[in-house]
Amino acid sequence: MWQVDRTGLLLAQKADGGTQVGVGAMLMLVLFILGSLWIGVMANRASSAGGFMKGFFLGNRGLGVWALALTATIQSGGTFMGFPSLVYSHGWIVALWIGSYMVVPITGFGILGKRLAHLSRRTGAITVPDMFRVRFNSPTLGLISTLFILFYLSFLMFAQFKAGAIVLQLAWPGGSDLALTEDAAGIAEVRYHIGLLVFATTVVAYTLAGGFLAAVWTDLFQSVLMFAGVMLLLVASLSAVGGLEQATLKSLQNTGPGFVFGPGYSAADSDHQFLPLSLAFSFFVVWIWGGVGAPAGLVRLMASQNTNVIRKSIYVLSVYNLGIYLPLIVICVCGRALLPDLAKSDEIVPRLALLTTANWPGGSLIAGLILAAPFGAVMSTVSSYLVVLSSGIVRDIYQRLLRPQAQRRELRLAAWATMILAGLISVAVMWSPPKFLQVFIVFSTSGAAATFLVPAIMACYWRRATPAGVAAGMVSGAAVVLLLYVCGIMGWSPEQKVGATGGFKPWFLLGLEPLIWGLLMSTTSAVLVSLLTKPLAAEHISRLFDRQTGTAGRAI
Amino acid sequence: MAEQLEQGGDRLDPLVRSAFREALVVSLIWLCAMVWSVGVSWWLGYGRTAQDLRLVLGFPEWVFWGIVVPWVTCAVISWLFAVWFVRDGELGEDVADADDLGLGG
Repeated sequence: MWQVDRTGLLLAQKADGGTQVGVGAMLMLVLFILGSLWIGVMANRASSAGGFMKGFFLGNRGLGVWALALTATIQSGGTFMGFPSLVYSHGWIVALWIGSYMVVPITGFGILGKRLAHLSRRTGAITVPDMFRVRFNSPTLGLISTLFILFYLSFLMFAQFKAGAIVLQLAWPGGSDLALTEDAAGIAEVRYHIGLLVFATTVVAYTLAGGFLAAVWTDLFQSVLMFAGVMLLLVASLSAVGGLEQATLKSLQNTGPGFVFGPGYSAADSDHQFLPLSLAFSFFVVWIWGGVGAPAGLVRLMASQNTNVIRKSIYVLSVYNLGIYLPLIVICVCGRALLPDLAKSDEIVPRLALLTTANWPGGSLIAGLILAAPFGAVMSTVSSYLVVLSSGIVRDIYQRLLRPQAQRRELRLAAWATMILAGLISVAVMWSPPKFLQVFIVFSTSGAAATFLVPAIMACYWRRATPAGVAAGMVSGAAVVLLLYVCGIMGWSPEQKVGATGGFKPWFLLGLEPLIWGLLMSTTSAVLVSLLTKPLAAEHISRLFDRQTGTAGRAI
Repeated sequence: MAEQLEQGGDRLDPLVRSAFREALVVSLIWLCAMVWSVGVSWWLGYGRTAQDLRLVLGFPEWVFWGIVVPWVTCAVISWLFAVWFVRDGELGEDVADADDLGLGG
């Protein structure tokens, strides 16, 4: 049952409003699940031609414009779950926090896209470690990158399982919460465990059927639905509040000047700075270069069909980002004007959806779509992690080290077994979710970028890079980010009144995000060690960088 | 790095050359966007009081000039970049059927 909030604003008029929305949300979730399973079957048909590895793990390098544009850059569930809460809590300054997304389309595809797609064909690489291994002619480097990817993605995937289960728990008819809160009492409920099992079964089933393409297509599916949801909510919110000017002025009245100016509003502590200048610069670096260096994104670039697809993806994503992020900020500012005192800021989007669509025909379904949309985002994120994890184990460990002669059927079984095992382990770990998981998620995202960005750029463009140099870049970048996180978590850093309020923070050394220090260290060590070690054979480099003449197509 | 690429001389694959040139231009666009966006936001939007608030189309002035305008500009530049600057090229075929590990090492 919906409740009257502290301002006395009635969120739903009927006493059984909660049940109604639960039904709407549950209906949308069932549609998501059925849609995803159908996508899995379709993807299975599309990827079954040719070799198993390239089909299952790379979609036969056939990604078209829409699939590549809307799925290859940062758009995980977190974008749509945590982001609205930040705008509601800290105000217009979050527009600057996310402002770098204005160049994500051009950086995401323009820096590595074309060359990585080219290099992965020249090396025959199916996975990111495959690419490093052949580019640098070093099985050790391949193994190091495999281990790093398995490490980071395990943390990321476990956490997504939890988020998926919680969405199902919330959508249960009669449920009274509206957001992904991590309330311990709530998690203990049977509904959480049922949600976890349903989520795990669904996502493993369709990924198992369709592999890489299933992950990409469900991602595309949820991106399109999210776009529709945001557009509907934008119209609904602006009409409810009486225009953007009213929204800004009312939200200012409800909060304080920090809501409309930098460095941002913080209800609990007026001295707190959400985004001081140093962090504003940091996030322009973090979102851009963190996105370019994310392993799941690198794989999708490797799978692009041709250069024309990469080119068109730039402007398709430009339009999409413009239509998602600025409207989401406007929506949440309207939210602060209409619902000034939400106890849980995470609930802003679903509560606003309920409030503003209450009198619309089918309003419950629209609210359901908006509540259910993060579920789609979480499913597609898990699915893509499952594919990358499975490819790491099957391709880079099983086939490379244990069974080089394995045939198609055996590889398929190995991939399936890996995914089922990953699902079972995730369910077991998340049955009683460990505390502080959020810290590992943020660390894994930053850590993965600090590990792989500089090596990937060097692999693509620097002939002189050596295996030892790239290994040094990977290890040192990861180590610096880990160190700064450990210092922040353990309380070894000085008191910091910056960044988002609540939760754990890394040590923002000199006010900068850890990823920046990780990238600086990774670049320095990779360059220095490369220059101090013996270069790779000129013939090997030439095969990867120069025109192919008589030797085109020769395996290297 | 550019010097290193040049070591390939005429033999350097044209796709590698154009990709590198495009990556440099993209990095420059990123840098300009950062300076514009953070600079203007800092100039017009930090350390102010409620009386300083001026709205443009409902946005606080600093959001309009520091975020909305550069965002739309970047969308236009991205389109121009993709249509006029990025060169199409042949990505080539896989060196071997990936199932059989016909790769190095």
